[in-house]
Amino acid sequence: MKSLKAPLVAATLLLLAPLHVLAGEVKIVASPSVRADSITVAELKSVFLEKTRSLSDGSHVEPVLAKSGSAHEVFLDRYMGKSDDELQTYYRTLVFTGTGAMPKFLASDLDIVHYVAKTKGAIGYVDIDVPVEGVKVLAIVQAGTNGGRRLLTRIEPEYPETLQRLQIGGTVRLVVTISPKGSVNDVQVVGGIPSSGKPPPRR
Amino acid sequence: MRRRIVLLLWSCLCAAGASLHAQDFKIFDRQVQIHGFASQGFIYTGDNNWLTMHTSQGSGAFTDFGANASMQVTDNFRVGAQVYDHNIGNLGEWHPILDWAFADYRFKPWFGIRGGKVKTVIGLYNDTQDYEFLNTFALLPQSVYPLDMHDANIAHMGGDVYGSIPLGRRSGTLLYTVYGGERFDNYYGGYPYALRKSVVPINLTSNGGPQYGADLRWQTPIPGLLAGISRMNQQDDGKGTFVPFWNPSVGQTAYWESTRHYWLNQYYGQYSKGRLHLDSEYRRNYIDAVGFNGTSPVQFDVRGWYVSGSYRVARRLQVGSYYSHYTMTAHYEGILGMVEPSRTDTSRPENHIYDKVVSARIDLNRFWNVKVEGHFMDGYGDGPYPDGFYPGDNPTGFKPNTNALVVRTGLNF
Repeated sequence: MKSLKAPLVAATLLLLAPLHVLAGEVKIVASPSVRADSITVAELKSVFLEKTRSLSDGSHVEPVLAKSGSAHEVFLDRYMGKSDDELQTYYRTLVFTGTGAMPKFLASDLDIVHYVAKTKGAIGYVDIDVPVEGVKVLAIVQAGTNGGRRLLTRIEPEYPETLQRLQIGGTVRLVVTISPKGSVNDVQVVGGIPSSGKPPPRR
Repeated sequence: MRRRIVLLLWSCLCAAGASLHAQDFKIFDRQVQIHGFASQGFIYTGDNNWLTMHTSQGSGAFTDFGANASMQVTDNFRVGAQVYDHNIGNLGEWHPILDWAFADYRFKPWFGIRGGKVKTVIGLYNDTQDYEFLNTFALLPQSVYPLDMHDANIAHMGGDVYGSIPLGRRSGTLLYTVYGGERFDNYYGGYPYALRKSVVPINLTSNGGPQYGADLRWQTPIPGLLAGISRMNQQDDGKGTFVPFWNPSVGQTAYWESTRHYWLNQYYGQYSKGRLHLDSEYRRNYIDAVGFNGTSPVQFDVRGWYVSGSYRVARRLQVGSYYSHYTMTAHYEGILGMVEPSRTDTSRPENHIYDKVVSARIDLNRFWNVKVEGHFMDGYGDGPYPDGFYPGDNPTGFKPNTNALVVRTGLNF
């Protein structure tokens, strides 16, 4: 009998835009006063470049950054497209032309979490493993998505010919791990009840 | 007294250099930020005095500083002001000015307005040319950002409309600024100084008028690549006193001049990737004016361009180089045309300055830098349009080439 795994995985493969709350090696943390549960990449950049001080839902936001560290480097590379030097120059340009303020810079991830927890509208980034008590973690999504999800690729499943001929059908339960880029990293069959009443064989 | 105050300020800033940070406090539950900067430079030239300093003997008359306060009143509304003071040779002379002061309301990311005294957006660095800490170089390319003509385009009293318009993920973003207002020269600026030091000295006590223009830049979909264009139109009316060279017996008499056309076009591009940063700009400044109380039409055509590159070698060391190319042609008519020949040959040293520059910037910490820079200049452009070399500062005449060593240190917080 052909494995049910591949076609059923394909049948459930709604490749989602990154909705996972953990964005690579950093996660975005926000004050509980921020109503949104997710933020687009474009909004994130706009907030940290001080082009906006509110999200699309009207929540007031103000950025807080790390002075240095791996989370800082990943955040700049992945979401800002600027080096630390370039970002510092950018902020100083805003300050000395009067068109913006110098955001808060803090020494450690824990300092950021503590600051964000107590500061209305604060939004920052920390290493993925840092405990985030008192703050909310925002999911990062692609812009233009509906409810934060966007179908990237659809693969039409092929029903196994043998099962079709024998008119066998059923439900299979899967645990699917999806990467931030929307690809399927792992699939585990955790159960299911085919019409015969017996669970399908585990692979 | 001023020198002692500056030295004391420098001592305090240097002593506090490691712990400089912006000061802030709250007014009506709104945070007010205070920032400041200061720089001190030294220039030595082998020949020719440059930028109104006695650089042939070495000059440290190259100081500037400023401080600002600003407040984000609401998410969309911001106010602030900055004062600035400088002494560069015979320019500035420690007369503080209001550098900028405006209110800024951003309705949407694509539409905002600001009004007051506003820095003028032209090219890559016009509005930030005073802030040496934002650049690799001790002096920006003088062909496009002349230090002595700092006042000519740097700010206007009026208003801006501005915004950024995303064009889509594959098309980048457009950023625009449209402005209008008035701009007046500072009496201690380069143009009035040049007139006071000219063969027929003119004491210009006011010069300026309406100014309007626009800047459009495209952040391309290629990361780090930017291109743009700026246009500025200006009306300058100048008033002062002089002794008419055609009838000196009348003594000091009223003087006026006025522009008929005065415009500036600037095209620019920038590319940054990793540690590498490249800039290039071209500026053309055309002035059609009438001087000497309507007796002497003149036209100046000033063109400058540069190509620069810098590279961050290490965390605290950046090196850079640029080539700056400046030419000026002038056409005189009327009474002035009878005594002053027009200048049309840009190959002559008095009509051009070609400057090759190498520079190194050392960041002692996040707030304090030191720069060492060498300039190798061909030409001295001693025309009536200020370009760094003034006949009055070089009474024995000009040598065709000038090499300069510039050392500059700056603090900011």
